[in-house]
Amino acid sequence: MILDLHNHSIRSDDGKARVENYCQWIRRRGLPLDGLVLSEHRQFDGASDYRPLEDEFGLLILKASEVETDYGHVLVFGVNDDLLAAFDFARVDLPLELVLRQSERCGAFAVPCHPGRPNVGLFAHYEARGPVPGVTIVETLNGGSRAGENERSQAEAVRYGYRGVGGSDAHIVSHIGRCATRFEDDIRDADGLVKALRAGRFEAITWPSTSQS
Amino acid sequence: MAVDVAKLKRDWTGFEFDRVEFPVSAEELTEFAAAVGETAPWFTDAGHPELRAVPNFAAKYHGRRMWPPDFPRLSKTSMGFDAGKRVEVHGPIRPGDVLVARSKIHDVYEKTGRSGSMIFLVHRMEFSNQRGELVSIVDWRFLQQPDPD
Repeated sequence: MILDLHNHSIRSDDGKARVENYCQWIRRRGLPLDGLVLSEHRQFDGASDYRPLEDEFGLLILKASEVETDYGHVLVFGVNDDLLAAFDFARVDLPLELVLRQSERCGAFAVPCHPGRPNVGLFAHYEARGPVPGVTIVETLNGGSRAGENERSQAEAVRYGYRGVGGSDAHIVSHIGRCATRFEDDIRDADGLVKALRAGRFEAITWPSTSQS
Repeated sequence: MAVDVAKLKRDWTGFEFDRVEFPVSAEELTEFAAAVGETAPWFTDAGHPELRAVPNFAAKYHGRRMWPPDFPRLSKTSMGFDAGKRVEVHGPIRPGDVLVARSKIHDVYEKTGRSGSMIFLVHRMEFSNQRGELVSIVDWRFLQQPDPD
């Protein structure tokens, strides 16, 4: 199945898209997505209930978070109450090592996103400070990347032996489905997504006509 | 210059620092509607019996102050810039209304991007009509980049 792992709704301060409109866009444009993940900035949206939209559009809608660390931005999948209590999601200077360790402890999974991006990408910090133990997967395809950023992500991921996932990083409706991740496993919920990431049976994908880079 | 965002938020959010009245004329409503490309007659025709403001109309107003008196300057080198407005519509604005706009700092938060650290100040204006009915809330995000240490 194909999931777009990185998107923002109006719950994020810079998100302009309603989740319903993402779903409508996916169906009207016939995008080959089976679902999407909402990764709101510096928070976990525990309140929104998207099950009616899942039923209406036949899409899996999962919730995650994009947190900000001393090594750049990081997607956290499988967020639960234990993880929410482990660190302050609103901080912009979370130690990456802490996010990785607590995610592992709480049954979640942390994936540095747009790692080829200046300043907020993992590899920009590797140049000065070296690699961080515990990173195993990075977002090698990001739909919001500028020219050269995804290429750098992919090259550095190979260098460090990391697996790659894809996500659109959509903030507006028409940007969903630029990049995604194809999983071999059937995923039903956030725990299933974490399990599939741990199993490593996936690949980052994009479509030339819709990707920026 | 390091900025203590948590302290800034604690000290400066939530209190009213400005209040201004804005009488609303039919001409203002129709001119604004035309400027944003509206074509429906209840927005553009000054003689229409149901004339009302387009949803983002209140975003055109500014108060007398941008920030509270003595609000600290966050950068010695950067003036910052407008990072966009968000409008909540709570009721109709009609010709002849007198809007009362109350300003406060609603939020202060920090994020990081390609260009480094960014501090967002959210200036909120709440608009009520002459009957005290809330008609619109406008959040104006203002982006400031602190000076490097």
